[in-house]
Amino acid sequence: MKFLLLILKNVRRNLLRSSLTALGTMALVLVVTLVWSLLAFLDQITSEKKQNLKAIVSERWQFPSQMPFSYAETLADGAAREPTDVKPLDSMTWQFFGGVLDKENVTRDTRMFAFAMEPRKLVTMMDELDSLPVDQKRDLEAIVEKMEINRQAIAMGKDWLRILGKRIGDRITLYGLNYRGIDLEFEIVGVFPPGRYDKSVVMNRDYLNGEVDKWPREHNGQQHPMADRRLGLVWLRVPDMNAYSQVADQIENSPLYSSPTLKCETASSGIASFLDAYRDLIWGMRWLLTPACLVSLSLVIANAISISVRERRKELAVMKVLGFRPLQILVLVLGESLLLGVTAGFVAAGLTWYGVNYIVGGMPFPIAFFPRFYINDGALWWGPAIGGLAALLGSIGPAWSACTVKVTDVFSKVT
Amino acid sequence: MSLQLLAVEATPLAISPWSLLPLVIGLVIIGLLAILGKVPVRYNLRNLQVRWRTTIMTALAFTLVIGLNTVMLAFVNGMYKLTQGSGQPGNVMVLSEGATDEAFSNLGFSDIGDIELQTGVLRDEANQPLVSRETYVVVNQPVRIRLPGRPRGRFTQVRGIDDAAMSARVHNLELYDGGEWITREGVRAVGEGQEAIQAVIGEGLAREIGRDRPPEELAKAKNPERLDVGETFPLGGRTWLVVGVIKYSGSTFDSEVWAKRDIIGKMFGKPSYTSLVLRTADAAEAKKLEYFFNNDFAKASVQAYRETEYFEALAETTKQFLVSIIFVTIVMAVGGVFGVMNTMFAAVAQRAKDIGVLRILGFSRLDVQASFLLESLAIALIGGSLGCVLGCFAHGWQSASILSRNEPGSSKFVVLELLVSGDIIAAGLAVALIIGLIGGILPSIRATLIRPLESLR
Repeated sequence: MKFLLLILKNVRRNLLRSSLTALGTMALVLVVTLVWSLLAFLDQITSEKKQNLKAIVSERWQFPSQMPFSYAETLADGAAREPTDVKPLDSMTWQFFGGVLDKENVTRDTRMFAFAMEPRKLVTMMDELDSLPVDQKRDLEAIVEKMEINRQAIAMGKDWLRILGKRIGDRITLYGLNYRGIDLEFEIVGVFPPGRYDKSVVMNRDYLNGEVDKWPREHNGQQHPMADRRLGLVWLRVPDMNAYSQVADQIENSPLYSSPTLKCETASSGIASFLDAYRDLIWGMRWLLTPACLVSLSLVIANAISISVRERRKELAVMKVLGFRPLQILVLVLGESLLLGVTAGFVAAGLTWYGVNYIVGGMPFPIAFFPRFYINDGALWWGPAIGGLAALLGSIGPAWSACTVKVTDVFSKVT
Repeated sequence: MSLQLLAVEATPLAISPWSLLPLVIGLVIIGLLAILGKVPVRYNLRNLQVRWRTTIMTALAFTLVIGLNTVMLAFVNGMYKLTQGSGQPGNVMVLSEGATDEAFSNLGFSDIGDIELQTGVLRDEANQPLVSRETYVVVNQPVRIRLPGRPRGRFTQVRGIDDAAMSARVHNLELYDGGEWITREGVRAVGEGQEAIQAVIGEGLAREIGRDRPPEELAKAKNPERLDVGETFPLGGRTWLVVGVIKYSGSTFDSEVWAKRDIIGKMFGKPSYTSLVLRTADAAEAKKLEYFFNNDFAKASVQAYRETEYFEALAETTKQFLVSIIFVTIVMAVGGVFGVMNTMFAAVAQRAKDIGVLRILGFSRLDVQASFLLESLAIALIGGSLGCVLGCFAHGWQSASILSRNEPGSSKFVVLELLVSGDIIAAGLAVALIIGLIGGILPSIRATLIRPLESLR
């Protein structure tokens, strides 16, 4: 306890130096926390799950995938034909309707891409939406019910609502871009919970399919060019890897899907393919940026501690005369450094976690289709760990120098 | 720093006036401090030498921050150069109306003739319009050799063209020696009754796919660095034969496969053209033609873009990366400022007696302040210069990335080269000097407040 008090006293001895060291530590821990949160999220979504997997079915060759909607029904059953074939636990279809809000003024803010799907699947299949807190789930269920009753209902993220300057209950018209000639009118019935879907827009697939199906009646029997290409993706939920392998086999070898042929991959594998283009960027963040920050952090602390040790040579010599052992002096110096590093690291990580997650609402970073990243809860221990480790590495040298101070050398100098 | 300051010129010596200004100001400040401050510069240099450990540690922190900043900006510069280099100033790209990207465009066959014959489109020696007719698709390509941590496939950009030589002329592309453009047939026998699709491949993609080769193939390869003429690769369930490699052009075409359009169209269910690229005399003519197609052309519903603008719009992600880099640099610089401040406050405290003696000898407070500020800037300059030198080693590194205008389907996978330019080096040094200045100002003011007699007591 007295040792701890001594450490505290030493840290307080030069408050200016301690504060500057702590502030420098906090700045660098902030960067590492942001980067690690991003990397942790990407690692998590690209690591293969063992249970409760999502499989993505899409065109084997072309991207973006454009399959006939007739594939949807059999794909929902995992292309099961025999009694022993495996069927998925759940499924959802994805279609993409791109339109413009103002035909005369086509800009990024007037172009909107809506996901067309079965509204009920929002609560059963969508990442994060399938595990909301009770009150948010209740709100989402209400939105889903409205979308099931009214085919023209549309739900969107808060960012889109802000860009459009609209409110719930307002109507918008989307003039088709990829579905040329098909213009859809919508009523905004709800907003997604804040987070991953802030920039998303979801509509009822029955509305889109209805318009495509009635096109021949209004156009001399001619099919819409997108009639046989309107299905983008199919998600299937399977219980485990065994079931996934069987379902994938059933789909990829099925004679039902010949034009175009299909491929089936796990969600993590599909996302990993997408993220492959960013691999050098991710490598740079993991192996250049983070180590550079850690080394800088160690240098900042090493500098401060070595200055402190140099200034206290006489005091350290006196401590040795009074009976302090070298190990105790080593622990004293390391303790000061660790106290600074761990405290500053914890404060930095904590403020970053709170600020980014609750004040800023996530950090926008242009990787793949993720609009924002949040600070991992693990940051609350990363911060002190990073600060502590850097402090340890940075102060080992000065601490050793402190514990090997020669009493005779210190007191033999004439002052 | 705006995107404008990331110079198109790749050589380190080319520096734009705007980037040079902060650096020149910093160097002038150093010069003035050295000349007007009466405390001999030797005193500062000697102090840096005597306290070499502290000097090295502080300078090393600068080296890391500035070195990292240089590499990150070189990456963004490479992306920016790619978008700039991908478009020809005189080219106009025509897509179907409403299409924001080639991937979503469908031009009717009947419209092609009308588009090509418009006034303003240049013609070649045989009086043929200089037009590249193209079908652009993105194809899932399985990776043959799956390294740990690498995915099973990649998205490969394939461009189907009617006349390869014409398209090359429109896009200003050349092949490496030993290669040839795709023939009319578009396929070639590769032995034992097998046929392969003739492909011309960009150098960046040739390197990427080259890494897929199994060891036994790599051992026999003409060029272990990349795929070369005569080698084959699988795509879309067929075998493709490399007949030519496009010379590195610093454009998105370095990351594409070109093949005969009618083969591509049938294989991937895209029978129509996605784009026509028309060559005009210059940028002014291109602007006129773009206006014409977007406002006055009544024969078909099309959307025209000047090719330079089309590709520049893909720099949306580049801008976002730049903002992120600036943020990271600022935060790391703040850490650096506190580090320098710590060092200099300690230096002032340790040299209180020196300061007292200097004051008694007749040096003014300002001279003392100038002396300490100069020391801080010197450490910053040494560390920052070393950081720039280290960062320069990243020049020419190849890196994969994506260009996008942040809309679904508008992404292009690219292989780019990191480009360290004079502007980036100037910016790095300027940042180092700013950190040194901010970090050194308070300690230098503290030095002026030391009372000579009290310090000598």
